[in-house]
Amino acid sequence: MIQQKIPGKPVTVTINGKKYRANEGEILLSVAIREKIEIPHLCFEASLDPYGACRLCMVEVVRKGKREMATSCTLRAADGLEVLTDTPEIEKHRSILFELYLAEAPKSDVIRDMAAHYGVTRTRFLKRIEQGDPLGNKCVLCGLCVRACSEIMGAGAINFINRGPYTVVNTPYYAPSRDCFGCGACVRVCPTNAIEMEDVGADRVMKSWSDTRVPLSQCECCGRYYAPRELSASVLARLDTPLKEEIARLCPECRGKQLAQNEILAGRGGRATHG
Amino acid sequence: MRIVSAADLEKVSRSGLRKIRPEKPRIAVGLATCGIAVGGMRVYDRIREIIGEQNPDIELARVGCIGYCREEPLVNITIPGKPLVILHRVTPGDAEKIVRAVEKGEVPVEKALCRIPSWDHITGYTQEYGAGFDGIPRYGDVPFFSHQKKVILRNSGLINPEQIDEYIAIGGYAAALKALSGMAPEAIIGEVEKSGLRGRGGAGFPTGLKWRIARNAEGDRKFVICNADEGDPGAYMNRNEMESDPHMVLEGMLIGAYAIGASEGLIYIRAEYPLAIRRLETAIGQAREYGLLGKDIFGTGFSFDIGIATGAGAFVCGESTALVASIEGRTGRPHPRPPRLTDPGGGLFGCPTDLNNVESWCNIPVIISKGSEWYAGIGAKGNSGTKVFSLVGKVDRVGLVEVPLGTSLNTIVFTIGNGGAGNKKVKAVQTGGPSGGCIPARLFDTPVDYESLNRVGSIMGSGGIVVMDEDTDMVDIARYFINFAASESCGKCVPCREGLKHTLLILNKILAKKATKRDLEILTDLTETIVATSLCGLGQTAPNPVLTTLAYFRDEYDALVNP
Repeated sequence: MIQQKIPGKPVTVTINGKKYRANEGEILLSVAIREKIEIPHLCFEASLDPYGACRLCMVEVVRKGKREMATSCTLRAADGLEVLTDTPEIEKHRSILFELYLAEAPKSDVIRDMAAHYGVTRTRFLKRIEQGDPLGNKCVLCGLCVRACSEIMGAGAINFINRGPYTVVNTPYYAPSRDCFGCGACVRVCPTNAIEMEDVGADRVMKSWSDTRVPLSQCECCGRYYAPRELSASVLARLDTPLKEEIARLCPECRGKQLAQNEILAGRGGRATHG
Repeated sequence: MRIVSAADLEKVSRSGLRKIRPEKPRIAVGLATCGIAVGGMRVYDRIREIIGEQNPDIELARVGCIGYCREEPLVNITIPGKPLVILHRVTPGDAEKIVRAVEKGEVPVEKALCRIPSWDHITGYTQEYGAGFDGIPRYGDVPFFSHQKKVILRNSGLINPEQIDEYIAIGGYAAALKALSGMAPEAIIGEVEKSGLRGRGGAGFPTGLKWRIARNAEGDRKFVICNADEGDPGAYMNRNEMESDPHMVLEGMLIGAYAIGASEGLIYIRAEYPLAIRRLETAIGQAREYGLLGKDIFGTGFSFDIGIATGAGAFVCGESTALVASIEGRTGRPHPRPPRLTDPGGGLFGCPTDLNNVESWCNIPVIISKGSEWYAGIGAKGNSGTKVFSLVGKVDRVGLVEVPLGTSLNTIVFTIGNGGAGNKKVKAVQTGGPSGGCIPARLFDTPVDYESLNRVGSIMGSGGIVVMDEDTDMVDIARYFINFAASESCGKCVPCREGLKHTLLILNKILAKKATKRDLEILTDLTETIVATSLCGLGQTAPNPVLTTLAYFRDEYDALVNP
């Protein structure tokens, strides 16, 4: 959707009164992250399109003496852009947002620590605690897992269900997904560590996603289960390397050992074999 | 038959006129959804039963609705050479009496609401019905109508919406012919700009400017879309516009598409409007038969067609980016703007897209036909034209009210609406749908225009005006609207999803008399944050009912909370 692949011309932006170099069209939050200017955020991930849902990264844009709130993840660097990140106005709204997050995800340590860092240690709102919540009452619906699953992996195994305050993330009809690769990208991007995944025997179990089970490949050497079978097959189909066979059969550890062994044999004048 | 010239239009027009003003008496029953709901169809069926399938002496027709909801079912009688007479509160039991009177060239005077000796259809044709029936009040003397100005509802209730010939008879598609065969796209955009028309969906963005941006946007493929996702509680202007006069929407879109350079059009309409959908489909089919949609329209080489996309029941899909997502088959959730619909990559299927509300489109044929100067002469400075409001709630005369922008709330509520129903005292109105604010009666001299409504904490919105009287509990009203907004929130951003939920919880607590002064403080803080930080217009405006009732009716909150 966003057409911004080639870096734009260099521009100067002002953040909290200090000038910084940026590329025109660059996301302001990225500039701030690079310059180590602290702006809290939950739904931003550089490899995904800006989403603007968590509203924590709001800054005030100063334009012709007037101030206007905007999310820094959707704000684009332009020459003369001036923003403030810690005005009383921002702090006031950010505190309320943190209170809302504390009520929404009361079991999340990440949220608790983040809110405390900004001086919010308690919430005036009713905490939502749901027994048996597959996301352990830690989900803040930032959508990163959903977007990583569809936009990066192309799997679309999970999505939002319902709307408004009833929104949750899970598989369609809460049934084990046949589209899930078990890649774990959702687990990696989740800012509140809400998603549970565990390798049990020959399967990877996506516990948070309706106990979706994904078969794992078994190492021919040590017998360990090491990578989701279908995912490795689809990745290998795109690889062109003499090591392809080995990768398909051995876990990373055994592969390393075998490689070393071959090198040693080759050094002794023996023949290096692959497999 | 294909219409390619003024002569062709004239020919069809003559056949249409014979239907509107036949040589024999015509009985026309108001059959928009509202009329049908109060028994209009039963009236129609009963009359049909009495006069038979084919009556050589009496014509029976279906028309849309003239907008006087309180007086429905409405029936129009046209006796050749006599004024058109509107009968009101007609029941199937009246059918016999009506038919017998009409057979004698008369009307049942005791059922008559008013007579219309002549009617200006605005787009080029003034219908001279005739003189007589002097004992019946004139249309202009009926208090409900006397302060109205029908520009958008110029044909509503007077023509059969399922007969394109009748639309053409009163000047329809002449503006499209004028625009396509005689005006450069730039000139059309210029006219719309000069007219001062602003978006009737609620935000009030200048329509001409939007068209210019869409025209200048790069892209071979462009879309125009009609936003017919009307969903405000108590608002039904667009429904009536589509049900009573669907061709004016199509004609507006045709002119707009030509000006912008779009060859594809879509009407995004909520599925809960089945009759409007059916009438639009019929209208599109008829327009295609005459070559008014399709390839090489009017022989100008310009091609344009319109399709219908139905919504799936989400209020937020009226928001532009959610609307596009919904048409594309994705979940209707807004994304941050820019990119706007007119931006590269931002519109439907990534193509530059112009989106206008039903009512904005309805104004276009008028602007082209009468000229921008005429149009700009209506209404107030910076707020030209008329606006249709649905005046509902605890008001005496419920109905669709079309007035020039800048008309005061006093005029609308008291002069036109006759104040509270059952002689109750009017306390406030809520304008602009669930995201509007409640305006107290002491501020009713406020002119209804985009800026003045904002100043008192409300919005124009799509045009709902809900009247509240002395018995209305304002805290409960705030809860009603917050409940609506919370359940229609898409759930994407936290202030709207979580914030509105907690707003609702606090209001429930207040109404249960379990809240303290501190809860009122939390309520104020929370709603201010929702306004300031929400992603789209839904969240940014949803707290308005709370903020305005807190400002104007604080005593009602105070009476409910403990110290």
